[in-house]
Amino acid sequence: MVKYWRSLDELKDPVAFKKNELKLEVDTKRELFKKESASSRRDFLKTFGFSVAAAAVVASCKKPIDKAIPYLIKPEEVTPGMANYYASTYFDANEYCSVLVKVRDGRPIKIEGNNLSSVSQQGTTARVQASVLNLYDDARFKTPLKQGSATAWEEVDAEIVQKLAELKAENRKVVLLTSTIISPSTKKVIGEFLEEYPNAEWLQYDAVSATGILKANQASFGKAFLPDYHFEKAKVIVSFGADFLGTWLSPVEYTKAYTAGRRVLETSDEMNRHYQFETGMTVTGSNADVRFPVKPSEEAVIIADLYNQLLSAKGMAPVSGQKSSVDLSALVEDLIENEGESLVVSGSNDENVQIIVNAINNLLGNYGSAISLKKTLNTRQGLDDEFESFLSELNSGNISGVLCWGVNPVYNHPKGETIKTALENIFLSVSFADRKDETTAACQFVCPEPHYLEAWNDAEPKSGVYSLAQPTIPKLFDSRQPQESLARWSGTESPDFYTFLKNNWENEIFVQQDEFANTQMFWNDALQKGVFESEQEISQNISYSENGLENALSAIQPASSGWEIAFYENMGMVNGNFANNPWLQELPDPIAKISWDNFAAVPVRWAEENGVANESVITVNGVELPVFVQPGQAPDTISVALGYGRQVAGKVGEGVGKNMFAQTIVENGAKKFWLAGAEVVKTEKTYKLALSQTHHSMEGRPIVRETTYDEWKIDPASGNEKHEEVEDHHVTLYPEPEFKGHHWGMAVDLSSCIGCGNCAISCQAENNIQVIGKEQVRNRRIMHWIRVDRYFSNDAENPEVYHQPVMCQHCDNAPCENVCPVSATPHSEEGLNQMAYNRCVGTKYCVNNCPYRVRRFNWFQYINNDEFDYASNSELGRMVLNPDVTVRSRGVVEKCSFCVQRIQEKKAQAKVDGRPIEDGEIQPACVQSCPGNALVFGDLNNSESKISKLFKNKRNYHLLEELHTLPSVGYLTKVRNKKA
Amino acid sequence: MFYWTGLCFNAKLDRMRNFFRGRLGTKKVSFRILLVVLIIPFFYVKFAYSQDDSASVSESTMVAQQPDDTTGNQNSENEAIIPGKDSAHLSETDSAASGHEETTATPGEIDHAVSEGHEIDEVKRGERFFRGLLPFRSESQSCVSCHNIRQVDTLNWNPSAHDIAVKYAHMDFAAFQNAVMNPTGVKIQASHQNFELTEDDLRTVKSFLDNMAAEGPVASKPSYNNLILFLFLGLLLTWAIIELIFLKKIKWKFIPVILLIGAFGWQIKMIVTDAIRLGRQENYAPDQPVKFSHAVHVGENGIDCMYCHTTVEQGKSAGIPAANLCMNCHIIIREGTNSGKFEISKVVEANETGQPIEWTRIHNLPDHVFFSHAVHVGSAKLDCATCHGPVEEMDVMRQHSDLSMGWCINCHRETQVNFEENDYYDQYIKLHEDLKAGRIDTITAEDIGANDCMRCHY
Repeated sequence: MVKYWRSLDELKDPVAFKKNELKLEVDTKRELFKKESASSRRDFLKTFGFSVAAAAVVASCKKPIDKAIPYLIKPEEVTPGMANYYASTYFDANEYCSVLVKVRDGRPIKIEGNNLSSVSQQGTTARVQASVLNLYDDARFKTPLKQGSATAWEEVDAEIVQKLAELKAENRKVVLLTSTIISPSTKKVIGEFLEEYPNAEWLQYDAVSATGILKANQASFGKAFLPDYHFEKAKVIVSFGADFLGTWLSPVEYTKAYTAGRRVLETSDEMNRHYQFETGMTVTGSNADVRFPVKPSEEAVIIADLYNQLLSAKGMAPVSGQKSSVDLSALVEDLIENEGESLVVSGSNDENVQIIVNAINNLLGNYGSAISLKKTLNTRQGLDDEFESFLSELNSGNISGVLCWGVNPVYNHPKGETIKTALENIFLSVSFADRKDETTAACQFVCPEPHYLEAWNDAEPKSGVYSLAQPTIPKLFDSRQPQESLARWSGTESPDFYTFLKNNWENEIFVQQDEFANTQMFWNDALQKGVFESEQEISQNISYSENGLENALSAIQPASSGWEIAFYENMGMVNGNFANNPWLQELPDPIAKISWDNFAAVPVRWAEENGVANESVITVNGVELPVFVQPGQAPDTISVALGYGRQVAGKVGEGVGKNMFAQTIVENGAKKFWLAGAEVVKTEKTYKLALSQTHHSMEGRPIVRETTYDEWKIDPASGNEKHEEVEDHHVTLYPEPEFKGHHWGMAVDLSSCIGCGNCAISCQAENNIQVIGKEQVRNRRIMHWIRVDRYFSNDAENPEVYHQPVMCQHCDNAPCENVCPVSATPHSEEGLNQMAYNRCVGTKYCVNNCPYRVRRFNWFQYINNDEFDYASNSELGRMVLNPDVTVRSRGVVEKCSFCVQRIQEKKAQAKVDGRPIEDGEIQPACVQSCPGNALVFGDLNNSESKISKLFKNKRNYHLLEELHTLPSVGYLTKVRNKKA
Repeated sequence: MFYWTGLCFNAKLDRMRNFFRGRLGTKKVSFRILLVVLIIPFFYVKFAYSQDDSASVSESTMVAQQPDDTTGNQNSENEAIIPGKDSAHLSETDSAASGHEETTATPGEIDHAVSEGHEIDEVKRGERFFRGLLPFRSESQSCVSCHNIRQVDTLNWNPSAHDIAVKYAHMDFAAFQNAVMNPTGVKIQASHQNFELTEDDLRTVKSFLDNMAAEGPVASKPSYNNLILFLFLGLLLTWAIIELIFLKKIKWKFIPVILLIGAFGWQIKMIVTDAIRLGRQENYAPDQPVKFSHAVHVGENGIDCMYCHTTVEQGKSAGIPAANLCMNCHIIIREGTNSGKFEISKVVEANETGQPIEWTRIHNLPDHVFFSHAVHVGSAKLDCATCHGPVEEMDVMRQHSDLSMGWCINCHRETQVNFEENDYYDQYIKLHEDLKAGRIDTITAEDIGANDCMRCHY
């Protein structure tokens, strides 16, 4: 039997681990008890006396007189208390997503996926979900600034225009430094600005760029572009360090495609096979069927060797090259078998590596199938070497003006300090940032841009795929779109960007369709849908050539020995733009389950041999980092996340973790995200990590059930034999629960869940779940209603990983319900396990009696409390709260409600319309935007519903079903497509 | 109560007995007893206050002219201005109420007037004049007999002193004088005819009003009836206990015992009733910024509820109509039979100045209750009056039901569901079968889970 384990200690000695865990828990509780209620009789009397007095005072308080202020003129589309949804576009940190913005009474409160988009297909990531909180960030600039002090737009405009004119007259160079811009209208505005100022230059800079791929394609195809990957068309997927499910290029799109190729419900369903070569354990690697932990320096060698082996397998003459340390024969066999239906990608930023990857894909005939050349992906256009030459010009004083927009090189470039000094001494430096950051702090002028939910914009994430963004709230602060600023400075008479945008669409994009004859109709339709796809056939007249391949092959360096440090973007922080977002800071890392820090993930064997454990501190090239012993970490490597260690970010993000961008290097004109020959030193120090890995322990019972694709094809119930056994033995003395109308249920496909954590943040936004901070996370009090458990199995050096989202199971025979002394958690007529906060007196009996550990207790008042100074401690931050969900107070238990507010809303709608509820009409927050389509919600009483069918699927089982709790949540066994 | 038990039933009982027996006559002891008696109802005082505010009961019958009974009222011509006799019709279509166009005073002057305080004497004299404490030179009524100085719990159609004060605070004396002496509204003309006020008197009234506009309306006194009753019961109780334990002067023990039980029981009842009522506001009928009468609009003019409360069938809230909805009719109707031009002009003004009207919210569920009008009206087709009562008779809108959870639950138990008509219920297959087979007669809201916690609390 496969042995599942949650941490290395458990693997080694389960009994001792359990004992220790129990002891730890008791200790923690004792410690907490001591700390928090070291109360004496006197304290009790004081409290008692105070309570009596307080009760008297409260009783004497006059009931406040509430005002009801109706609209003066009610907008037609607004019904007070009902939400409106507006289609918009998210583009930040090089990630594109088409979204629907839920607006309640004038406030955007939730982001939903837009199902009309062919790119994001109703999926989102945790970042997209959390972006709504950025709107209500205290660190945003309230006015334009000059030298750090507030000023007016007229003043800023006058001074900047004067300085620009001066520079123009003297023909001194000005650089508009932006992150990748995918907005066609914005590009036009920039074009006009460059026309007005011939001394100006436009440069795109990405913190984590795709320079390698862009340059490789320049060599192979004569055009620097990102191709359009179609993971759903690939039967064999090989990834070399590309975290395409997490952060690489277009993760939502790839997750949708990837999981679509792995969903096995009917016997006819086919499943792709995924090979992953990587250093640290990423989300993508954790989902792979076959995973090879390799050093970053080995990757290039393996790719070259793979190319060679494929050549010889196809009977062509192999080129000279080194042998890889990994046995690739099975992979080669698979690839040859699935020629034209495979996909090889690499996350490397090295042009040479990417050229060989191109050669492999070409050899396998993947261009035209899994890699489409018809469309290009536009989300990363920055070229590192261009930025390097900008940098040398900046340092030599050739550049006299810099306008920074959406970039933060002071933080995310290894030469940040020199950039800072240069910016401070330059003639003109302007930042368009909407909130505090390191680069902006060094600029003379700040012309704050509005949040994307306050602004007009458009996007072209792929060629021919357009997307619109519209404001969903009036500007909260005195901000102005940079497009408008640029237009104003270039002397445009009407710099209003909305008009410009609309005109641009009417002139350029309207002609690409023939559905509408009227421009206004077309505009309205596009705006309503949020997306528009050009009907024109786009053909890139390009073809593959072996340009540069020979050079690339010869440039491959042999794998080095000694420590190698790999830097990666993690799910929450990515490139650090969102450091001041407490939701993302508290989102546990999908693999390590650590929040509020970055850490050094070290290999298991080294840790054992050197007596290093979790929370030890090591220094890596002089930087002190806390250790997390990461199963699956390649030997002699350490992985550290980028995006932490922000110095100027706001109250939440400052000083969280260490900045690893400072450690990256630039090699051959491209940022390189790994280091060879690093110096690693143990220290005696320890550092507390907010580790939730051993939380919510399920006491070693078989929670995850799995099978392989081959076994499943023979017997769909394979790996799930226990389910039938348990079902057969269901005996009860009590009457079976009966549901007259609906019986809500949820199914979770463990094969489709990639563990990204989107559901946790989506739920947090929907259900007003509070951020509790590092200290409390350590105290095992994280409030997330849906957590994604992560289990390991087999070899600690290269384990298999399982992600399992666990929310309230809504048991029909719920253990929590009958222990509540005040009936605060009864069962509903529709199968919901209800939680009435105002009835709860906080005994926590239910928490203790829940076998799934899904109930959360409010140990403190998390809202409006200076001790928890995150989003909910200010009027502004609280604007994100969902008015349809009670904000829980201290001392009550809360848990997943299946988003009952959504159920009630849709039910009310159906009742008013006098029609039955359609299957799929109700979508809880976690289900709505799941990028893997892993979650399905519906009515179990409706035999035609998707959920009923899934519950009848042979793969379906329930957690701890042997307890006869009769959960309303079903799990489908994890299927891996291992090679037999 | 706990105080007493603690006092009498601890180990020092005997000493206590001696203490009271021996020196009962002295001043010191009486003082102590008094203290004890006063402590008990201390908390109750607080209750009494909170209750006064949350439920100021109002008569729904219309009282056209309610003289303020706290002042000496020299009213003699009451009949002349009772609305029924007032023959005014909706005639004129002035753009605004009298004096409205004559906004000429500059802000500087107002500041001066308010800050200077008009000489304290002038204000005092104005107040006395307003209250009718100074002899009129004519037979006219005092101002206060129509224009309330403080809030009253009956409807007075006439603008209150504070309303007038706020309106004219920013206008000069001429405008005020013109409005009083040469009014344009039909009703006000009838009431103000034959006024013979000297300019000096009017000036003092204006300064009094300006002062009021700055300082706010006269606060109304809280009612102490309940508190006095409670204190009295406390005294009775105390006496009965002392009599039973220490004095023992009355032969028939049952007298103090009955008094003790009675007084104690009554006190408990008062506390329990008020504790249950705490936070509930049945019959709450606060003053509104505009004297809008549902009786006139619904009762007399027969306007359908949904003409104004437009979102009741689709939305969670019924919707307080936007001010521009009022203008559908009031673009023409500028003078009311009862209220004259004064109230309607507020609505017009709101539309003109873009300042929304800040109504005082009446029906106010706790934040953890989620109620949907759509389900109750749109789907269940309940009549508005089921919960809101005879709105067509209410001049001052009041909360008809107590909106307590018990009230909701009881209704759900009794109310039948449109089970056959609404296709939504098609999915309740079992219940349909039972109904057909005659196993059950009716389906109530409770049967389909209306009393589940998470129907309303989430």
